[in-house]
Amino acid sequence: MAATSTSTSLSINQRRWKKFKGMRRGYYSLVILLGAYLLSFLLPLMINNKALLVSYEGEWTSPAARDFFGSLPFVGGLAPSSFDPGERYGLIGEQSEADYRKLQLRWEEEGSENYVIMPLYPFSPNEDITVTGNEKFIEPLQVDGNDNTRIFGTDDVGRDVLARMAYGFQVSMSFAILIAILEYLIGIPVGAAMGYFGKWLDILMQRFMEIWHALPFLFLIIIIVSFVEPTFTLLTVLLVIFSWLGIATQMRAQFYRERSRDYVAAAVSIGVSTPKIIIKHILPNTLVPIITFFPFAVVGGISALVSLDYLGFGLPPPTPSWGQMIGVGLSNITKYWLVVVPFGAMFTTLTLVVFIGEGIREAFDPKVFSRLR
Amino acid sequence: MLQYIIRRILLAIPTFFGATFVVFFLVQFAPGGPYEQQLNALRKGQGSEGAGSAIGSENMSIPPSQLEALQRYYQVNEPIWARYMMWLGLYPRPTNDYLAELDEPRNVGGGFRVIVKKKSDGQLAVYSAENPTEELSDWYIDPSSKANSVWVYQRTISGIFTADFGTSFHYRKPVTELISERLPTSLQFGLISFVITYVVCFYLGTQKALRHGSAFDVVTSSIVFIAFSIPGWALGAVLLVLLGGGSVLAVFPTGGFQSNDYETLTLIEKIADRAWYFVLPTIAYTLGGFASITLLMKNSLLDTLGQDFVRTAYAKGLRENRVIWMHAMRNSVIPLVASIGGIIGIFLAGNYLVEVAFNIDGIGKLSFEAIVSRDSNVFFAFAVISIIITLVGSIISDFMLALVDPRIRFS
Repeated sequence: MAATSTSTSLSINQRRWKKFKGMRRGYYSLVILLGAYLLSFLLPLMINNKALLVSYEGEWTSPAARDFFGSLPFVGGLAPSSFDPGERYGLIGEQSEADYRKLQLRWEEEGSENYVIMPLYPFSPNEDITVTGNEKFIEPLQVDGNDNTRIFGTDDVGRDVLARMAYGFQVSMSFAILIAILEYLIGIPVGAAMGYFGKWLDILMQRFMEIWHALPFLFLIIIIVSFVEPTFTLLTVLLVIFSWLGIATQMRAQFYRERSRDYVAAAVSIGVSTPKIIIKHILPNTLVPIITFFPFAVVGGISALVSLDYLGFGLPPPTPSWGQMIGVGLSNITKYWLVVVPFGAMFTTLTLVVFIGEGIREAFDPKVFSRLR
Repeated sequence: MLQYIIRRILLAIPTFFGATFVVFFLVQFAPGGPYEQQLNALRKGQGSEGAGSAIGSENMSIPPSQLEALQRYYQVNEPIWARYMMWLGLYPRPTNDYLAELDEPRNVGGGFRVIVKKKSDGQLAVYSAENPTEELSDWYIDPSSKANSVWVYQRTISGIFTADFGTSFHYRKPVTELISERLPTSLQFGLISFVITYVVCFYLGTQKALRHGSAFDVVTSSIVFIAFSIPGWALGAVLLVLLGGGSVLAVFPTGGFQSNDYETLTLIEKIADRAWYFVLPTIAYTLGGFASITLLMKNSLLDTLGQDFVRTAYAKGLRENRVIWMHAMRNSVIPLVASIGGIIGIFLAGNYLVEVAFNIDGIGKLSFEAIVSRDSNVFFAFAVISIIITLVGSIISDFMLALVDPRIRFS
């Protein structure tokens, strides 16, 4: 194959990046997915039943911004932190959280100087029929009791499907990325140590990993979660405990092969310290399969979470999650949108991740198959 | 060869013990495990059954005899290794455990009665109540906290190795019986999915290798990867709603395994009926399996096609079909054959997600429901079966590899 590039000054990684960008599909998938994920951190300002801005008797407040800052450190939708009771805005006798949609209508009717600016889509993922205006099983694009259009309808307890789907995206992605990173943090050092040091450490760890491999891991997680109240942390720990093996196995094989190369022997003979050999000399040579595997680790995390949520052993309710939504849809099988919407979201997300993965794999693959006919 | 297989099997034994121990340990020591749950149930049960007395008081004390019976049933006072060995069936476990008062006949089931008396040397011994001179040597005695009473019991070796998984609390039936009732259903899905997966992957992988780099190759690659990443049961759910539900199209049944009037149908109708029920779940079952095997087949064939002996075959003027099918193919199916063990494990272990989504009464759904109803013996059994299938699968894989690849000699 004749190289078309005339420039020779590009480093290997720059060339890979160029190749990756050259494959439009993977590159655009990355742009879209990354953009959507970053944007999803702004969800409390875009899809929320709390006002972006309330101007009441000359005073400005922003309950949505408070939600936004409250949700920042981690995922988990809308923590019911501090709130403004309805009384604060002149709804006499209302001790509970102000209903900003109602407030807006009321002030508009009164023609008062106070006003409310609502987010783009003024519904929360967790508000159900207990809030006036919400109804069960509203079909997509139909209106609710307050004449508001529900783009993807509502579910069996009157929660907005679009809002839940959007927040579910944020939860799924954060969860999957976190798990993939933790898997790598455990798998890489363990696999490297096994491959590099070998001997009893390798034999012992291999036995251990064989045992771990034989376990039906998702099933065990379900058993454990059925005993213990699930939390975000517990689920993360459990999934990582059972899924770091793949990375470790790959790393072990890579290190095992690289260790016998001449450049390692050379480094040892001039007295380079062991940590330096491992980190500076061998590690960079072993990262290619690990990097190309990352998107698929994310896929695995999303699938595992969706499956656990569907069975009811995932994140504690009412966390918005695609698995729980599909589960509700399956028990209300005539309400097609309850399954189609979360599945569509999951399908789109996973497809984008797969396209990114394919792009990366292609960009890193030096192998060119040639065939004589 | 034989030596290799034997060594491989011997190596699987410690793995089996390790994996089952992890399962046993996790379930026994997870907070809120079976013993604690029974304890809590007893505490609560007393609050509500006690007709008005101290309703809902969680700290009600359980009568010592009842607590002791529970402790003896779960063997909480035994060391963990002993409980594990009893569970496996390598160490005798107490059975027919009864609290007996001294010098009083005690009914121990089957119309048989025993009596505990002091022997002349002051030791306690168990006698048949009908024939008080006959000392029963297969009965054992443990002290009890209740005055003037002891526990009498027999010992048997019974556990996983004797195919005794205990009794289901929920169905009140032996677990072995429950599982063997439902196993055929899961096996039918597993085997059909297995065959379909291999046929499709073989064909697809071959075509992709022969047309490497073409639009067909690129598109099918994306499709199998997307199919791989989407959980099968979730696609099944969508198909069920779109094709099987009442809402859009009702082409397929809404789940289940066969029609209600299945028994009255003729043979051909039976086959058609079963096939009609099988379409959607089988799609869900097979979805995830395509990617790895298709790519394995493709890469393997591509590698072979680039080798010198294929070039030679072309050079001597053989037709392309003959080169591919007679020369290249035999060398290319080796990794495919070697992967059989792992794949068969995935299909045979009963996919509880698909079974739950489609309401199919296989072992997967049974085990999942057992977790929900906290029927620990049932899900223990499922976990052990999964482990055995995984281990046997990997042995089969190695065996097949050694069988088909003449270059591999294990010594």
